[in-house]
Amino acid sequence: MAESPITTHDPKNEGQGQGPVQASPQQNKEMEKNFAQMKRKMSMEEIGLKIKHKIMVLSGKGGVGKSTVSTGLALSLAQQGLKVGILDIDITGPNVPKMMGLDGHKLHVEGGRIHPAKGHLGVKVISMAFLLDDPDTPVVWRGPIKLGAIQQFIGDVEWGNLDYLIIDFPPGTSDEPLTVSQSLPNIDGMVIVTTPQAVALLDSRKSITFAASLKVPVLGVVENMSGYTINGVTAANTSVEIAGPGGKTIKSTSDENGNFSVTLDIFKKGGGKSTAEDFGVPFLGALPFDPGFVRGGDDGVHKIVSDPEGASSIAFSAIVKAVQAQISDKPSSSLEII
Amino acid sequence: MPKLVRIERRESDLHLTYDDEQELTVSYHDLRHACPCAHCSPLRNEDETSLKLRSQVESFKLHKPSVNPVGHYALNFIWENGCSNGIFRFERIWDLANRRDPDGGKPYVHGAW
Repeated sequence: MAESPITTHDPKNEGQGQGPVQASPQQNKEMEKNFAQMKRKMSMEEIGLKIKHKIMVLSGKGGVGKSTVSTGLALSLAQQGLKVGILDIDITGPNVPKMMGLDGHKLHVEGGRIHPAKGHLGVKVISMAFLLDDPDTPVVWRGPIKLGAIQQFIGDVEWGNLDYLIIDFPPGTSDEPLTVSQSLPNIDGMVIVTTPQAVALLDSRKSITFAASLKVPVLGVVENMSGYTINGVTAANTSVEIAGPGGKTIKSTSDENGNFSVTLDIFKKGGGKSTAEDFGVPFLGALPFDPGFVRGGDDGVHKIVSDPEGASSIAFSAIVKAVQAQISDKPSSSLEII
Repeated sequence: MPKLVRIERRESDLHLTYDDEQELTVSYHDLRHACPCAHCSPLRNEDETSLKLRSQVESFKLHKPSVNPVGHYALNFIWENGCSNGIFRFERIWDLANRRDPDGGKPYVHGAW
């Protein structure tokens, strides 16, 4: 019985100064671990019911603007009056809090539950960045440790009722998206972010195939950094020529007030749409190359918050509507197990 | 591959119903022998160890397993004894139901999907 994790109660020994056999500290630790895992699993199932829609935001390549798109989607949905959360799964490079004006924020923990921080427009945020004492501290974790942290971020967080949870991932198709797609029930689908250049598209194609192998629907492809528009003023009805990328001359004509605009396709154009067409998945739209995103990210005030009527906010709004059109409010038909 | 819509756990096998109305079965012995976990899979690389694995799973008392969906893409079977670690992708179950080698004759390589 000494090997058993269960304590015994022997009535024959009662009153003889010999109590029940106690579990060893190691057995207690093991039982506590199993109990915590069971509680987390139940909590994950509950989260699946409390959060109506869960959207994963992925890209194959780094630096294409996943966090910008994740925060943009969340804020654009919140602008519609919906309850939204962002789960920043980028363990080693978490930067959603900075973009959401929550730099230096610490999480509140009560009764063993983690309470998310609240950013612009009431968007709830959970990120590894909140757990780091020093922003320069690197998180040097191997896969299994990351897996545990991700499961905690899903199962131990008190999200409350949400309409949408946006999950922002690091680049690639490895531990993080695999763990989330295994742990979080009823994921609506993935949004794949790319830039128009061939190198990014090559990796985005892998992300689409990855989604197919996990049986998670691809809600669509977003082409980020798609064209930088220059506005200027010259004499009325005048022809204007701009030296564009690759030595290409871009021509425009000013209107009767002298206003003109030209769009430079810095990273080429249309690659996101053609990739979506190749794989038969929806193209959600293109976001312009907007230096305001860089400044907004650095200052903690997203462009959607600082300029809600601007071109980028309008582009985000169109993408969000395209995402919402893919998502059904009806629960997906589940597998019957008897 | 059609979509699996119903699983009936019977005394010694799974009765599977697909959305194209095909009804197929997988015996518990076949299912457990084809466990795709990192411990059981390498045992199928050699005939001798594969046979040992087969006789081990056949020695277990037959019982209905618990079935847990894994994301949208796989199932995990929990048994009262032996290995319950394998995550069975729907493609793997489809292969087993159609009496095909789910490994396609290829040896197992750690870390490859």
